[in-house]
Amino acid sequence: MKSIFIAYDQAHHEAIIDVLDRCSCRGFTSFGTVQGRGSVKGEPHYGSHAWPSLASAIITFVDDSKTDTLLEMLHALDESKPLLGLRAFVWDVEKSI
Amino acid sequence: MSLYGASVKRPIMTTLCFVTIIILGLFSLAKLPIDLYPDIDTNTLMVITMYPGASAEDIEQNVTKPLENTLNSVEHLKHITSQSRENTSVITLEFEYGYDIDVLTNDVRDKLDMVKSALPDDSESPIIFKFSTDMIPICLLSVEAKESMAGLYKILDDAVANPLARVDGVGSVSISGAPKREVHVYCDPSRLEAYNLSVEQISNIIGAENRNVPGGSFDIGSNTYALRVQGEFDETEELRNIPVGSYNGSIVYLKDVARVEDSLEERTQHTFNSGREGAMIIIQKQSGANSVQISEKVMKMLPRLQKNLPSDVKIGVIVDTSDNIRNTIASLEETVLYALLFVMIVVFVFLGRWRATMIIVITIPVSLIASFIYLFATGNTLNIVSLSALSISIGMVVDDAIVVLENVTTHIERGADPKQAAVHGTNEVAISVIASTLTLIAVFFPLTLVTGMTGVLFRQLGWMVTIMMIISTTCALSLTPMLCSQWLKRNPKHSKLYEKLYMPIERALDRFDDGYASLLRLVVGHKTVTIIVCLGIFAGSLFLMKFVGTEFFPTQDNSRIGVNLELPIGSRVELAEDATRRLDSLWRAKYKDEILVSNYTVGPASSDNTFASLSDNGPHIVSMNIRLTNPADRKRGIREIADDMRRDISEQFPEFKKAQVNVGGGRGQGMGGQSTVDFEIYGYDFTETDSVARQLSEVLKGIPGTADINISRSDYQPEYQVDFDREKLALYGLNMQTVAYYLRNRINGATASQFREDGEEYDIKVMYSPEHRTEISDIENIVVYTSTGQPVRVKELGKVVERFTPPTIERKDRERLITVSAVVDGVPLSQVVTAAQAQIDKMHLPAGISIGLAGSFEDQQDSFFDLMMLGVLIIILVYIVMAAQFESLTYPGIIMTSLLFAFSGVFIILWLTGHTLNVMSMIGGIMLIGIVVKNGIVLIDYITLNRERGMSIRSAVIDGGRSRLRPVVMTTLTTILGMVPMACGTGEGAEMWRPMGTAVIGGLTFSTILTLLFVPVLYCVFAHNGVKRTRKKLRKAHEARLAAAKNV
Repeated sequence: MKSIFIAYDQAHHEAIIDVLDRCSCRGFTSFGTVQGRGSVKGEPHYGSHAWPSLASAIITFVDDSKTDTLLEMLHALDESKPLLGLRAFVWDVEKSI
Repeated sequence: MSLYGASVKRPIMTTLCFVTIIILGLFSLAKLPIDLYPDIDTNTLMVITMYPGASAEDIEQNVTKPLENTLNSVEHLKHITSQSRENTSVITLEFEYGYDIDVLTNDVRDKLDMVKSALPDDSESPIIFKFSTDMIPICLLSVEAKESMAGLYKILDDAVANPLARVDGVGSVSISGAPKREVHVYCDPSRLEAYNLSVEQISNIIGAENRNVPGGSFDIGSNTYALRVQGEFDETEELRNIPVGSYNGSIVYLKDVARVEDSLEERTQHTFNSGREGAMIIIQKQSGANSVQISEKVMKMLPRLQKNLPSDVKIGVIVDTSDNIRNTIASLEETVLYALLFVMIVVFVFLGRWRATMIIVITIPVSLIASFIYLFATGNTLNIVSLSALSISIGMVVDDAIVVLENVTTHIERGADPKQAAVHGTNEVAISVIASTLTLIAVFFPLTLVTGMTGVLFRQLGWMVTIMMIISTTCALSLTPMLCSQWLKRNPKHSKLYEKLYMPIERALDRFDDGYASLLRLVVGHKTVTIIVCLGIFAGSLFLMKFVGTEFFPTQDNSRIGVNLELPIGSRVELAEDATRRLDSLWRAKYKDEILVSNYTVGPASSDNTFASLSDNGPHIVSMNIRLTNPADRKRGIREIADDMRRDISEQFPEFKKAQVNVGGGRGQGMGGQSTVDFEIYGYDFTETDSVARQLSEVLKGIPGTADINISRSDYQPEYQVDFDREKLALYGLNMQTVAYYLRNRINGATASQFREDGEEYDIKVMYSPEHRTEISDIENIVVYTSTGQPVRVKELGKVVERFTPPTIERKDRERLITVSAVVDGVPLSQVVTAAQAQIDKMHLPAGISIGLAGSFEDQQDSFFDLMMLGVLIIILVYIVMAAQFESLTYPGIIMTSLLFAFSGVFIILWLTGHTLNVMSMIGGIMLIGIVVKNGIVLIDYITLNRERGMSIRSAVIDGGRSRLRPVVMTTLTTILGMVPMACGTGEGAEMWRPMGTAVIGGLTFSTILTLLFVPVLYCVFAHNGVKRTRKKLRKAHEARLAAAKNV
């Protein structure tokens, strides 16, 4: 089991749900709109007057076998629209109920 | 869910919602009546009181004064004016605009009840009369006739006036110029005397002979019969043979002492159409009815009515007010369409994509059509004001949609799916879109609160624009994002042709951006110089104010000229007729390409002609109606023609003592006609005020730009009075009333009876034959019979003397006054007033006499004051809206500086184009407050955004300026080009809105150019100061901390 945290420009939202569906990842938790900025050159997403755009975040837990496909698809999505911004982070799940 | 979220998600619902609005709007449009102006409630009441037999001065003292004193306490009264003439007192109450006239009428009625007991016993009860614009006739028809002239009145009454009066909405139809049939019994005084007969006896005998008397019923055998005496004359000829008495045993017939003429009324108006005698039919509408609809119905009926008339009677149209209304509205509609086209072109040039252009342009019809629903729901009409509102709004309703579309496009270009981009993009700008709409509403909503005459006009403008703004913002937040989500694509592919055509435009726009950025860099580098130069330009433009004249409303070319001519008082009608005939033929020859129809009426009006008896009339007074060809079909304007006509009268017709050539038909009508300056001379003494009036009229004649100077007090009327000796009368057993009626019956005639024919009744009048009432001796020789039957001549009972009766006494606000009025022609109103005022100051006025100003100038002052106050209110409101939006008190101040240049621009363009500052251009100026600050808001908003993103002041300003240049120029151009058709219009009525369009164009252009340079510079200055202050504060805090640390 891996946990994948995906942070992205809110415009990506529907595309990401679509990617999850295509990878048969049923479960996820969405944080709704969140604020943040990229570590390198990612524009701030504050929903403020100066930076009006907003980000969204989703956390999902998938089988190890699906992780790579999912990341590849997310990477492709990011590449297709570099200006929007999308990042995913993976870590192990030690226990669950 | 948000409005835009919902609409993007449910495109069908959104589309259908707007389709519904459009359908309802078009339905309303189809039902909307058209008119020239919005409904203007009447604000005038007249109180008419008759007091038979009293002279002007008696009337003034005993009737007018007590009434005025009581009526003066009615609420909301603006002015109380009165005219006291022989037998009648007419008091006119003018109220402030905006109050219910019915309530005021009741107040007036209550006051009249209070004062009734104080009036003389013989005076009749005062009558309240509501006066409104509805009294102005909507159509004047001309009638030409040859053989049928004698019976014209009956023909017209039966075949034209009655059917027309039945048309729904027609109030009254009067016929003038067609004398009524009358049977005259012209007596010969010497024969009467010879047979010992009097006019009274003859009149009684005719009355007694011309009778049908039912005698009851009686029974013969088994039947009942009615008994009747049929004495009525079947023919007028029968009259001649009725016995009127006997003399020396033989019967005296009427033909022995009099001649019977079956002819026409003696003293009446004669009407001439294009030089030929005929008649005029005047159609007035019912109060509240729509002129255009009625006149359309009337025009539709005319061909049918014409068929029923004898072949020599021809009906034509002299004036059809609806013509002007229709043409004006049509030319304004054309203006609106041009504005739409221009705005579309601008949007396309700047956006470069037809889909985006369509999305923006769709907002225009939606918002415009939606406003028709408001007009229909509130019972308004499609008029100059509502259509101007449309024209003004076209450029502004697209602004919100442009902002939304631009942001959505940015999102799409960054890679967002159009649907997502539409929602998020709209979300980001929603607040600023609403805020900028609020600033515009802050400008237009207060227009709905203006009072007075201008308020009546601009209330509708305020509502219309406010509604259109609200609809356009709603549209920008729902329809625009929905369409963006459906129509816009990421990286759209363009055809080669498109690229060939559009690339040069794109390159030019880029160069324009670059040029502006470097200019901005330059001015930001030289802040002090820029500020001084800009403020210098503003101060310089203020000097132009001196050269820009002011007036109330622009003069409108509605192709109508009304001419009022007066011969010296007491002149015979034949003289007036002859002089006018010469004048008319001169004009018709001289201005044959310009005059379409000319019509004139001479003579006193008969009492049953309501329209004519309300206006001035008398044997020496002539009124002319001239209809010119359409303004587009002639080279000269109406003012130039009127000018020439005035010159013709003064040079070639000295016999006319007074002459008024009125552009637009009537004199001093608030809007459309030529402005007048009225000087009111207040003072009790007739001779003193008369002499001041004469002096003043001389002074006015010397001032360039005045024409048609008119003194309101008419000359003393010459008349013959018979002074009877009461003692002599008593000796003969006579009294004043008896002898007075003897005189009246002989000169004016006694109505003996009615001659009936075909269901119509005609008066039979007995009087002296015309040749026996031409000299004073004729009057002196009138025989009066005493109670014992003894004949006495008038000259034995009293003396016939010539006297002059005092003229009508006019009062205003309970003081006697004379008005000297002049038409202002070719120069601004303010110039004439200033020049005249300077001369008046030099005049030596007798004690107790004062001169005041009224007329268009007073209206102008009132309206200007109202508009100034409104301007201040609007500036405060706009400031509040901006301060709330920016959460700052400084930024709105910086933005407001663009107003200075807007006003400079208005003055400069008015000066360059030679227009005056009038109510229309002032309204343009007021609208500018909202339009101009919008540019500043866009600019400052983006500069602060840049600073919040961490840029330095300088680069924030330059980058912000560069990136906002296109939206600013684009919205400005849409507004300016939307106004161009208004400013350059040449159609009918264009004079009215031309100053408004010009003012907006000048102010907006000038202020946009300067705003783009001045506002960034001012921002730099204030931002630098702000930074300095913060640094100082930080330094102080730091030092304080250091000091505290040291102390420890």
